[in-house]
Amino acid sequence: MNFGIIPQVLPDFLHGALNTVIYCAVSFPLALLLGLILALMGSSRFVWLRGPARIYIEVIRSTPFIAQLFLMYYGLSTILFNISTSLGGTNLAVYVNGWTAGIAALAINYSAYEAEVFRAGFLSVERGQTEAALSLGLNSQQSFFRIVLPQAIPLMIPPFVNDLIYMLKDSAIVSVIAGVELTAVLETYRIRNGSNTIPLFILAMVLYLILSLPTSYFARWYERKLRAAL
Amino acid sequence: MQQTFTRSNVERKPRSWLVILDFVFYAAIIAALVGLAYYFYHFRDSITLFFPVFLGGAGLTIFLSVSSMILATIFGFIGALGRLSRFVLFRVIAAVYVEVIRGTPILVQLFLWGFGIRAVLEQVGFDPYNIAFNFLTLVQFNSIMPSPFIFDAVFYGIIGLSFNYGAYLTEVFRTGIESVPVGQTEAALSLGLNSRQIMRKIVLPQAFRITIPPFANYFITLVQDSALLSTIGGVLELQQLVTAAATANASDANLQLFFYVFGALMFFCICYPLAILARFLESRLGVGY
Repeated sequence: MNFGIIPQVLPDFLHGALNTVIYCAVSFPLALLLGLILALMGSSRFVWLRGPARIYIEVIRSTPFIAQLFLMYYGLSTILFNISTSLGGTNLAVYVNGWTAGIAALAINYSAYEAEVFRAGFLSVERGQTEAALSLGLNSQQSFFRIVLPQAIPLMIPPFVNDLIYMLKDSAIVSVIAGVELTAVLETYRIRNGSNTIPLFILAMVLYLILSLPTSYFARWYERKLRAAL
Repeated sequence: MQQTFTRSNVERKPRSWLVILDFVFYAAIIAALVGLAYYFYHFRDSITLFFPVFLGGAGLTIFLSVSSMILATIFGFIGALGRLSRFVLFRVIAAVYVEVIRGTPILVQLFLWGFGIRAVLEQVGFDPYNIAFNFLTLVQFNSIMPSPFIFDAVFYGIIGLSFNYGAYLTEVFRTGIESVPVGQTEAALSLGLNSRQIMRKIVLPQAFRITIPPFANYFITLVQDSALLSTIGGVLELQQLVTAAATANASDANLQLFFYVFGALMFFCICYPLAILARFLESRLGVGY
């Protein structure tokens, strides 16, 4: 074990860590948005809204993320190529790369989990609140967006932050397609320095810990504060 | 118009013409299933060729998951005892284990076991293949040993998976043990039981029930995460075989895509029944006493 290698590789690792953060920062809001739509669809009274949301959530939650990632990377490019060859025009498949496929797969995977968080959050707001809002003459949209959602958001923040940490860790899997984040950098240097890999692993794990531990402590602190406030 | 809001009025929503679209949804489901059946029919030659192979991979996936879960339970139990220990040293070691494992990606940990620690242990002279081979020779059973390459990858893969899930199970067991009311321990103490008896006869049986639903959920994610072993090479589980079949047919993009679809569907067929079972257990055991 020769730790002298760390100063040489540190800039590349930091750049990889930055890319990891970018992956999460782009994917997580998308996942939240998709998850909110799915949760609203899932709580609808129409089967044609409830059914697709249910199927989506079950299928996404029951397949491994790495399989979804391969499907997104190879499948999307194949489908886009087929479409553009049959319709003519530019080849859309060139837009599928490690960034777009990785972000899409992360957002799609996590939207299913966020939908469950949203659903649980909405259910935790008492039904009496909705009834009171309705009896005051608010319509269902007003009562949802002004009464239920503002009360549910503080309850949903701890699970969201936990899911953000999970996403931070799952973004490592993007390195198996053409992603260029921290784990991909680690893989590059691991193959280059076959006999001296432990310092590289320690460096990558420390960088991941620097990203995830403060976030997880924030979630715990917030949860404790929330429980004290309730 | 003056509206009255009785409770029944709020509960019962007016029928909407949009309900018609429900039937469109059912029709779309049937069309999608027929389409999927046709899609598989289109690739029937590949299915007859590769499905037996994939079934073997699914068997290895289940074997990996079950053996990792058993080992992870041991790690998690030791970790939980460490976190609840009287001694600061054990508490600190267990806390560092949990924080480091839960703060880093499982993929990096699998790389660490499969490439880093494996190479270090080989330099030191530790060879799990030889140990297992000699043991099986002793019991006249060494013909079941696979090649060293495969055996070592599976060995370090199981260690990596279970070491990771041990940290999560540590927290599950700790919250389970802590959720048993203190009054139970006090009552047992006043009846004259010592601390080991209390743990074995009073606390653990009650904690066991609470830990089953999260345990089942972690088993499902473990089955999914075992697909990550395809990245360390040599573990011929389902995702590895699917990726290999797809890569071998990369010249035909549609066939390549079919393999990924088929592999994801096989994982779905393993995980979805488990998810239903976990939900059933949660509804049965999630309630209080």
